[in-house]
Amino acid sequence: MVLLEPDPFLSELHKMYERNKERTVWVTMKRTNMKPRKARKPDPKRPYVCLIRANDGKRHISTTVTPTNYAKFSQSMLVIMKGAMADTLKKKEKPKTGK
Amino acid sequence: MYVEDFEAFYEQAVELYKARPIETRYTIKFRHKEGKVVLKVTDDRTCLKYKTDQQVDLRKIERITSIFFPLMACGDLPPEGAEAGQAGQQQAAAPARGAAQAPGSAKKPRRRG
Repeated sequence: MVLLEPDPFLSELHKMYERNKERTVWVTMKRTNMKPRKARKPDPKRPYVCLIRANDGKRHISTTVTPTNYAKFSQSMLVIMKGAMADTLKKKEKPKTGK
Repeated sequence: MYVEDFEAFYEQAVELYKARPIETRYTIKFRHKEGKVVLKVTDDRTCLKYKTDQQVDLRKIERITSIFFPLMACGDLPPEGAEAGQAGQQQAAAPARGAAQAPGSAKKPRRRG
């Protein structure tokens, strides 16, 4: 698991979607105050953040967003996800015989 | 458990999260080959899923994702003024209408006069 800063995470996420046109990508979000592995000291005062993970079955990436920076991040992430999904999802079927 | 109706899924998902904010996770699974998206919200007791392959449902995905961001980052919906949370807040207040709204069209009504 690689914990990235929000911006590199977004570009990695984009690459992950690009790479996996034959496969599946999972993006998971949860609320947590867990410390990253590097800092193992327990810290109950550590604020809660939103952890976002992405996984394609081979590689995991993750990032955290705080109450101050989630707004921009969520917009960028949605743009990336929509970009990846828009082409493959079915378009709404229009009635064949127009009046 | 798959929920067919998005509005029901949306409401149940938010309820589930509010009941156990720390244990609940939200997953967006995208299978490119089949062009299929599965949204899953679970607290390891209850599992709610919503499946779609329709492009129009991207709006729904966007809507539920943009409510989970403020929920999970702040613990609750942020006070008014945060832009991304704003759309979610309004949509939460009017879920039926929110589904038809395009992203960004859910702007705060401006004061007039």
